Amino acid sequence: MKLRIGLAVFVACVVLYPLALPGQYPLGIGIITGALAAGTVGFVLLLGYAHQLALGQAGFCMVGGYASAILCVNHHWDPLAALLAGALVAMATAWAIAAPILKLRGFVLAMASLALHLILIVVALELPFTGGALGTYGVPKFALFGLPLGSDLAFYYVVWLIVLAFVAAGLAIDRSRVGRALKALAASETAALSAGIDITRYKLQMFVVSAGMASVCGSLAVHYLRAMDPNVFGFAFSLNFITAVIVGGLMSVWGGVVGAAIVTGLREILRGLSLPLWEGVIMGVLTVVVLIAFRRGVAGFISHLYDRLASREAPRASLGDPDGAALSRSGRPAARLEVRGASRSFGALRAVSEVSFAVEPGAIAALIGPNGAGKTTLFNLIGGYQPLDAGSIALDGARIDALLPNRIAALGVGRTFQNLQLFDNMTVLENVMCGTHRHFQAERVNRAKTAAALAFVGLRGAERLHLGELSFGHQRLVEVARALALEPRLLLMDEPASGLNDSETERLAELILRVAALGVTVLLVEHDMRLVMGLADQVVVMHHGEKIAEGAPDAVRRNREVIDAYLGSEHVAA
Amino acid sequence: MDFSVFVQLLLPGLTTGCVYALVALGFVLCANVSGVVNFAQGEYVMLGGVVAAFLVPHGVSLPVAIALAVVAGALLGALQERLTLAPARHSPDFIQITITLGVAVVLRGGALIAFGKDPLSMPGFSGDGIFEVAGAAVPVQSLWVWGATALMLAAMFWFLRYTDPGRAVRACSINLQAARLMGVNAERLTLAVFAVAGASGALAGAVIAPIVLANWDAGIAYGLKGFIGAIIGNFRAPGIAVAAGLGIGVLESFAAGYVSSGFKDAIVYGALLAYLLVKGGVFVFGRASLLSR
Repeated sequence: MKLRIGLAVFVACVVLYPLALPGQYPLGIGIITGALAAGTVGFVLLLGYAHQLALGQAGFCMVGGYASAILCVNHHWDPLAALLAGALVAMATAWAIAAPILKLRGFVLAMASLALHLILIVVALELPFTGGALGTYGVPKFALFGLPLGSDLAFYYVVWLIVLAFVAAGLAIDRSRVGRALKALAASETAALSAGIDITRYKLQMFVVSAGMASVCGSLAVHYLRAMDPNVFGFAFSLNFITAVIVGGLMSVWGGVVGAAIVTGLREILRGLSLPLWEGVIMGVLTVVVLIAFRRGVAGFISHLYDRLASREAPRASLGDPDGAALSRSGRPAARLEVRGASRSFGALRAVSEVSFAVEPGAIAALIGPNGAGKTTLFNLIGGYQPLDAGSIALDGARIDALLPNRIAALGVGRTFQNLQLFDNMTVLENVMCGTHRHFQAERVNRAKTAAALAFVGLRGAERLHLGELSFGHQRLVEVARALALEPRLLLMDEPASGLNDSETERLAELILRVAALGVTVLLVEHDMRLVMGLADQVVVMHHGEKIAEGAPDAVRRNREVIDAYLGSEHVAA
Repeated sequence: MDFSVFVQLLLPGLTTGCVYALVALGFVLCANVSGVVNFAQGEYVMLGGVVAAFLVPHGVSLPVAIALAVVAGALLGALQERLTLAPARHSPDFIQITITLGVAVVLRGGALIAFGKDPLSMPGFSGDGIFEVAGAAVPVQSLWVWGATALMLAAMFWFLRYTDPGRAVRACSINLQAARLMGVNAERLTLAVFAVAGASGALAGAVIAPIVLANWDAGIAYGLKGFIGAIIGNFRAPGIAVAAGLGIGVLESFAAGYVSSGFKDAIVYGALLAYLLVKGGVFVFGRASLLSR
């Protein structure tokens, strides 16, 4: 409903604008706004969805602008073909730069894209075929399939048709599993990885898509300006992108359109008031104020108002009992985990030292040991969050010790975290649906599997709730449900009982038994000895990074070395 | 290779490199204490330059103009922290860092309104003379740049090594969270570091202004080149960041002299991209890439 209203308002505004404000000047503003919107819609996907700040987005506008200018003027290409060629070059460049760089953490993409932009400016100034500082003049009017667009009004409609197509593409991404993956990685990269989401890949995809759209923005603008030179798309134009998207609204594709209109409108107003120099300060202040005070921007504010007016009833949950029958044994057998000689040091500290053990398919194994024994590090080695210094880890005989966490998750290894790692920007349903990411299947199937996983852990009816409305214990169950939605063959649980009260811990133990009965191998790290002793088939004890004992719970409990290490030697007498 | 040409390129390279080194140091200090990469870092250099270059022709004596520029840098740095970062302290890093970009835009825009579009020139502190080193002519002002930078660096490293707040900054760089748990007052430290970074940037801008002109939109280039230094120092090692900043100045100067002055920026930024591509591990796959961070 909201989507249809949005589209209707959008089309009405586009159609009515030239009727309400006839004349060359307003029409020109309409065209420039549309060209900018083509770029900012893509930029929302990059900045708002993938959380990648690119300071040199105008560099891709330059690519499109020069492609259109040079190909149409010097080589007499069809404008549409030149536009597409520019977009392809921009996307290929974006991919070549970002594919390796996005592996680095921090904000290197911001500076790398700025560097690329500044290089392009130098190249445009110095190379012969760009026309140097004077640029390329006499760019023809835009044409569609060989038919020149005679009037600016026709061009105006074509530009906005392209914007509409981009908005539709953006909305489609938003509603797909890719959109969910993007929201997930924006909320918690660690958790996204554990759900099998390849975060680098989606960031890269959004950078490439946004580069293509920025290039189209550049092409369209150049066909309106009829000329291209190195100053058209300078650093200030990149800043326009950033301001537009932040003020317009980071969390929605519409934010790009709204932002483009605000930025262009503001500039025209300032020109009208003969205060063009104030543009930078005002844009900067707007950016800072919106980021501090209302992060969702204008589009977010409108959406919020709509929700208030439509006064949606807050969903009330009556949680059902756990439904053990909701999930059935999956066809695929439980996995066998084998750790052999695994070692990992941090500087001089040997956090994990030559640890070997195996967990048989369908067994429940527990990794115990005092604080600082290296349990969580070992877990991170198995899950792919840390590289091994030595040793090997194999799943059903196939080595996984070089794989990244999302690849390991995609092999059917689910994981829960000691400090809850949930996506706080999503409902319970969406959180758990992220677990289905590795299966390429219809959303209907994903939804059904998600509902079954929620019922299995005892959260039937919580689908539409937000995480804040759940107790800590229930949030932990959401995390378990997300791991189950992955249809794991091995489930890694890092201190699942921490923060739970006695009755919650009891129910958790029962849940873990039911999970194992589904045909899932379970490996826990746990402090709660009662939980471990009543639950585990096999216990591995670590101390100072080394394995000191392994065996059935009863045998381990009587092991002298374990008692010394785990309870402290003063307990021996007692 | 002609030795005098080499020196003629090396020394001016070191001069601009001083500015990049101070910016790089500012990046590292701010990032360590607050966890935020401050994209406005380069703008303080620009501000120091335009403030000093604006005041001198308006009859303010040189030392006072420089002092005012440095004070302006410190004040604005502190204001940036108080007004824009403190209220957003609990926002995601991504938001905080984008806010610093907004601040950079405000500073640029403000300088444009206050000091105008045209680059401002400023006389050398002890005249506009030149001196000769190994057959190369070097502006006397370079001595001021080197001296001021050396003093600034010495003061900063002394601060980091021998004072309690300095040790706190270093503790933050090793483990921000642990440092906070050990009672490091991160809030006050952040404020101080932003002020110091603003002041040192402004000083760098003021001493370099007689050589390169002060321009409202010079901040991005200083920021980006300083950022390269910070990134080579992994945002952790101040010493490496400073050395890398100097190196970038020299590389830029050699690129201009031996290749083409038009392409010098393209060469420096190309080197940044190449560095990032290698560091990101073009040929590294799987979990090994976790180590390349």
